[in-house]
Amino acid sequence: MEQPAQTLARAAQGDQDSFSELIEPLLDPAYRLAAVMLADRGAAEDAVQEASVKAWRKLRQLRGDATSLRPWFLSIVANECRMARRTRWWSVIKVADVDAQDRAQPESYSDLHRALLRLSPDDRLPLVLHFYLDLPLDEVARALRVSPSAAKSRIYRSAKRLRADLTMDEVF
Amino acid sequence: MSNENFRRELNRAFDGMAGQPSPTLSGRIRSAIARPTAARSYYWIAAAAACVIAALIVGVLFVANPLHRPTSNVGVPLPSPSASPSASPSPSPSPSPSPSPSASPTPSTAAFQCATTYGPVTQSGPVTAYVSNVATGAHAGYDRITITFGNGAPTSVEVQTQNNATFTKDPSGQSVTLAGDHGLLVTIRGADAHTTYSGSTDFKTGYTKLLEAQQVQDYEGVVQWGIGLSGSTCYRVYLLKGPDRVVIDAQTGT
Repeated sequence: MEQPAQTLARAAQGDQDSFSELIEPLLDPAYRLAAVMLADRGAAEDAVQEASVKAWRKLRQLRGDATSLRPWFLSIVANECRMARRTRWWSVIKVADVDAQDRAQPESYSDLHRALLRLSPDDRLPLVLHFYLDLPLDEVARALRVSPSAAKSRIYRSAKRLRADLTMDEVF
Repeated sequence: MSNENFRRELNRAFDGMAGQPSPTLSGRIRSAIARPTAARSYYWIAAAAACVIAALIVGVLFVANPLHRPTSNVGVPLPSPSASPSASPSPSPSPSPSPSPSASPTPSTAAFQCATTYGPVTQSGPVTAYVSNVATGAHAGYDRITITFGNGAPTSVEVQTQNNATFTKDPSGQSVTLAGDHGLLVTIRGADAHTTYSGSTDFKTGYTKLLEAQQVQDYEGVVQWGIGLSGSTCYRVYLLKGPDRVVIDAQTGT
C-alpha cells in the first residue's frame, strides 16, 4: 500500500485520485465542523465542497508532511464557514432561521445545547476541534493558526462560557 | 456535572446540530475537483491569447507613449514624475525599526490625505506577490513603512483609517491593540508574507507618529498590516517599482 507521503506527493503533482484518497477520510470531520459552525447542514456541505476545491488548488502551499493535512484542511473549512457567514443573505436569513429553530424546539434541547447555540461560531470552533473531533492540542493549534498555549486558552475560555464553574483540569 | 458528563452532553449537542453528511457529498466533491481540470485546456488557451494581446497593447503604448507620461509609478497619490533609483523612497536596509540614513527622502511633493480611505488600487502582477522585506524609518516630516515584494506587485492595495489602534487578527478572530490611539489598516490582496519573508511581524518603533506596525493577517492570499499611530494622522501611499513595494508615510507634526 502506498505511503501517505507518496500519495501527498502525487496529489501535489495534480493526481486527482490521490487527492481524493487523502481528503475523503477528512470529509466527515470537516462536515461536522462546518455544520456546528454554520448550524445549517446544507450550507455546511457547500462549505466543505468549496473548501475541498480550494485545498485541491492550493495543495502545493501545504507546509509539512501528510500529518499536517488534517489541521490545514480544517482551517480552510473554518475560513470558508466564516466567509459564508459574512455574506449579507446569510446574516439576514440564516441567522433568523437558526434563532427560530432554537425557539421552536425548546423541549428537545438541553441547557447546554441552547448555550452552545448562543456562542458565536468562532467560539464554537475550538470546542468542536477539541471535544467533538477529539484532535490533539497541537492539531487544534494548527487548525486555529495559533500557538498551542493560545489554543488551550481559547478552548478553556469557550468552555467557560458554557459552564462557568469549569476548571482547567476538567477541560483537559 | 462531571468532566465526562460535560463531554458527553456537549458531544450529544454537537451531534444534534451536525447529523450525518449526505452520502452524495464525496461524489459532489470529486466532480467539483474534476470540473476545472476538464476546462483547464480552454482556460489555458484563452489566457495565453489574452497575454499575447495584452503584451501587444502594452508594447504599442510603450513605444508610442501617447500621453508622454512617465510609467514608473502607479497608485494615488502619484509621486513626482521621476522615480529613478536615487530619488525613490527605499526601505531601511534592515527590518529593525530605526531611522535609516539610506531610507532616502521622498521623491515627491505628493499631498497627504487625511481620514479618507486609499484605494483599493489595483495593479497587474503575479497571482501571488511574495513579501520579501518590511522596514520602517523616521524622516523629517513623516514616519514610513515599506513593504517590498520579490516577484512583482500585489493585485490590490487599500488603506483604511480608524479612530483606534485595535485590529482583528484573521483567521483567529482575536483582537490586538497596538501602541497609539489611531490606526491605519493596510490590506494587500494577491500577496503572501510567509513564503519568502521571515522577518519581524511586529515593529515597535519608538517614533513620534508611527508607534507600532504589526501583521494581522497572512491568509488566503490576503496580507494585512495594522499600524498604530499617535493621534489622527494624514498619510500618503506610493506603489512603486524596482523593486515593487508599497510605501506608506504617516505625517508627523499633526
